[in-house]
Amino acid sequence: MKTTGKRSIFLFFFLLAFIGGLCFFLFEYVTDGGQWAMQPYNAHLSGTSTVANGTVTDRNGLTLLKTQNGKRSYNDDERVRLSTLHLIGDTEGNISTGIQNAFKTELTGYNMVTGLADIKAAKQGGSIRLTVDSDLNKLAYQKLNGRKGAAVLTNWKTGEILCMVSTPTFDPANPPSDVKKNSQYSGAFVNKVLSGQMTPGSIFKILTTAAAIQNIPDLDSRTFHCNGSITVDGSPIICTNREAHGTMNFQRALADSCNVTFAKLAIEMGKDKMTAAVNSLGLNEPFSIDGLISAKGNYNVSNASNNQLGWSGVGQYTDQVSPAYMVRLLGAIANGGAPEELRLIKSVSGDLASPGKYGTARVGRAMMTSEVAQRLQKYLRGDVATAYGDDMFNGVKQVCAKTGTGELGGEHNNNGWLVGFSADESTPYAFAVVVENTENYGSQSAGPIATALLSAAVARGEK
Amino acid sequence: MLLDSLYFKELLSDKTGGEYVPEITSLLSTLSPTFFVLRGVAAVLTVFLTIRCYTSMRAGRRREEPVVFLENQRNRKNIPVLYWENSIGRSQSCDIALPDSAVSRDHAVLMRRESGWLLTDTDSKGGTYLNGKRIRDTVKVIPGDLIGVGRTNLIFRRVTDANVKPPRYHARRAANQAGLLMMCTIIQLLCFAQAFFGDKQFSMLPMLPMVAVIAVEWIYFAISRYALGRTNFELETLAFTLSGIGIALLCGTREKLLKTQTAPTPFTLYHHSMDAVYSQILMMIGGLVLFSFMIWFMKDLNRVNKWRVPIAAAGLLLLAAPLVIGISVNGSKNWIRLGGFSVQPSEFVKICFIFAGAGTLDHLQTRRNLIGFVGLLAGVTVILIREKDIGGAAIFFATFLIIAFMRSGSMRTVVLSVAAAGAGIATVLGMFSHVKERFSVWRHVWDANNLYDKGFQQTRVLTYAASGGLFGVGIGNGGLGGGTGPLKGYTNVTANTSDLVFGMMIEELGLIMAIVMVGIIAMFILFARSDATRSRSTFYSITACAAAGMLLFQTCLNIFGSTDIFPLTGVTLPFVSAGGSSMMAVWGALAFIKASDERTYAVRRRE
Repeated sequence: MKTTGKRSIFLFFFLLAFIGGLCFFLFEYVTDGGQWAMQPYNAHLSGTSTVANGTVTDRNGLTLLKTQNGKRSYNDDERVRLSTLHLIGDTEGNISTGIQNAFKTELTGYNMVTGLADIKAAKQGGSIRLTVDSDLNKLAYQKLNGRKGAAVLTNWKTGEILCMVSTPTFDPANPPSDVKKNSQYSGAFVNKVLSGQMTPGSIFKILTTAAAIQNIPDLDSRTFHCNGSITVDGSPIICTNREAHGTMNFQRALADSCNVTFAKLAIEMGKDKMTAAVNSLGLNEPFSIDGLISAKGNYNVSNASNNQLGWSGVGQYTDQVSPAYMVRLLGAIANGGAPEELRLIKSVSGDLASPGKYGTARVGRAMMTSEVAQRLQKYLRGDVATAYGDDMFNGVKQVCAKTGTGELGGEHNNNGWLVGFSADESTPYAFAVVVENTENYGSQSAGPIATALLSAAVARGEK
Repeated sequence: MLLDSLYFKELLSDKTGGEYVPEITSLLSTLSPTFFVLRGVAAVLTVFLTIRCYTSMRAGRRREEPVVFLENQRNRKNIPVLYWENSIGRSQSCDIALPDSAVSRDHAVLMRRESGWLLTDTDSKGGTYLNGKRIRDTVKVIPGDLIGVGRTNLIFRRVTDANVKPPRYHARRAANQAGLLMMCTIIQLLCFAQAFFGDKQFSMLPMLPMVAVIAVEWIYFAISRYALGRTNFELETLAFTLSGIGIALLCGTREKLLKTQTAPTPFTLYHHSMDAVYSQILMMIGGLVLFSFMIWFMKDLNRVNKWRVPIAAAGLLLLAAPLVIGISVNGSKNWIRLGGFSVQPSEFVKICFIFAGAGTLDHLQTRRNLIGFVGLLAGVTVILIREKDIGGAAIFFATFLIIAFMRSGSMRTVVLSVAAAGAGIATVLGMFSHVKERFSVWRHVWDANNLYDKGFQQTRVLTYAASGGLFGVGIGNGGLGGGTGPLKGYTNVTANTSDLVFGMMIEELGLIMAIVMVGIIAMFILFARSDATRSRSTFYSITACAAAGMLLFQTCLNIFGSTDIFPLTGVTLPFVSAGGSSMMAVWGALAFIKASDERTYAVRRRE
């Protein structure tokens, strides 16, 4: 009897399988339930029941997405659809940071707790008005002109995102059948503005500069010398095209984007000070944009040699940033240290949504002191005033900017960056543009796109 | 999209059903939030009831304390005899382990029966002696007798004669059984109440089933308590809870009416559109009859031993019957028609299979190999595969594993069996396109080419399950159930009330209630295990564990098959699914668990 009793333990295998399967089902129920429910054949969504009908519009009220009786329809203009794909998301939910995925409940009246039950409170669908101007999105998409990349433009005074485009893209109304296989669409499910983890190249010098301001008191009075390359730990660190920048002050080194100088500064400050400064600038942490989570960047020199530490100071080595992080950082500089948190939703209506949660500006944690912010702004303004020239930005006033070329090795394989903002209160725009797989420098590849967006925003008087 | 609109048009055209009473529709808008809350209350009550039933069952059990002692003549040590069947031998795993090299590994068995204590030799080398005489057959033992095994002599003593103090313990009280059943009744009333207002219209049709179900429960309770004198009713209460809720769910669905038939008015009490419900209730009564018969039949273990082989043979014949006179339903040819009823023999053969696989301890010790039982499994499997009932074959196999392990204790047997089954599945996949199809659509049900075709059932289950949320949309309001009202016609999903009933449970009762209900079935495992060493024979222990495991495995196949976690095999959910054979057979399986509780056959309860 004793033995028989002991052997009955075998039944727990069945119990384990049962519990395991149930947990798996519950996991799927929680993550995919909304999509399961939103099927055109669902009787609860039929004409006889008043189900939620949700819309998503841009800041001007243009409908980007409509849910009606469980069916979703998109804007009629194909270019609008293409340029807002990553913003809105696709019907299948492949783009997890898309609005229709993140705001399922608000848009369809479905939520996990009440399902589509006939309870009054659960009935209403909601409408979401975004901060994005679809015309700016269309423009950015046109200017990217088939190249892979991302563009984002914000109002740094309010934190509102006015333009957010990621390519490659596809038409959510007619998704191509080979979207998962064709390399042409590789990366199409990622909104690079939020989730891109890209090699920054010289735009990272903004962060190195912030570290240097805090750790090197005589930064402005120092002179630097560059003959095109230095050797650290037996390997070289070189400037672009081995161009010798000669003797210069710090402002000149930033404007000319002298790798040798910035590598020396990073090595001089050392791993700990660099890491501390970068961490306080929030690079290594994710942040939320109205509930959508932006990927964290990467700065990790714990195992780096001195040579690698040098390269990390000029945005190479394992450094990674997202465009959203860059505009947030620029917003912090423009606002004197603490950024206006980025926002994507202007207003929400509908019973289930909590309207108060959206549409109001919030100041984020201070990333730097106002003194550091002022000096950074002065240097970035100096870049434009002394090196790029105001003409590059069609005369938009007080533009502070930095170009960058993230080198990934191999031909046609650079990330061309241009990030910056207008410090003028009447044109408070910050931007970050990146073009991937280019042979050009940031100023040539990303420059024209950024300029076009900035001019258009100024011309439209976006607030 | 074209397909969509065609689909709707076609199904909308055959809308049938009752008349709408506007006052009731407006009343419903105020009722629906109330019912929403009540469904939450019902779920909480069911959780409470389940826990209460389990703790009550545990509290009412006998302490594991010795009934008699064996006194070792040499060292005067008392060996407690704890169980109803006790193995005597040299092996450490024996209940009475004797460190004597002349004793065989499993030497003899000392059993307690209604008639008294019995001793039997289990093919030992040296033989077993009673008062100096070698025993040939099973013999009766009385206090004072001398049992000789190897070089050891044991005196059989009553507890009162042996010089030992009985352990002290605190008396634990079992719950009031009527109180538990009352809670079950309240839960069912909460469920049936919604059925009256299902599909946004009022109908008196659920009245008759509601009264019938509750009446059957209380009448059976009275019989069990007063006529049969049984003290505990926890297991039956839980099974009634499941069956009753299943019938309430079924009340929310109506059969499609023919043009010549008249639709029921809101106050019709009896209508043939409810035939499925009436037959389900009849089958529950049938299940109770089978339940009672089996408990009576298994009371006499001599009878059990005598009938094992005939029952196995009868089971095989019954299973093979559909091959000759069978009809095919949903791709499986495993039904026969019996006087106007469709019967699925494999449901009943499961009971025969469990019965044939188990045995009393002396029986297990003398017939160690599993060849006969493996042969039975092989026969069953071949027939089921011919009938294309793969789900059924899987259930038999899982049951086999439980029994094989409990008899042999060998993990190797289990692993080898599973490997053999794996090879079997591969062969079957190659043989039957029908099965292959179900495997190929598995985890691909949402693909555009499967959505309206091979993934039809699973996607509907998932869609409607998600539509239910945590607390459901209410009985009769489900899209998967497709009642008579506005929602009628949207769904026409085959087997929605049987194989896919888990979807209906989540949609109409809510995710929480659905999980609690399948959790109750899983609880039967704990019931079976807690009786495993206290039952009156290993026969009861093994059959109870096999039955509980089988019910849980069938539950897994059902709920995971319909939700695309497993391939869909089309088996019923015990107690809840509509289906007469299944309903009867699961009550039969429950009889095994009931029989393993030693109180079931205890001396009559005294008031």
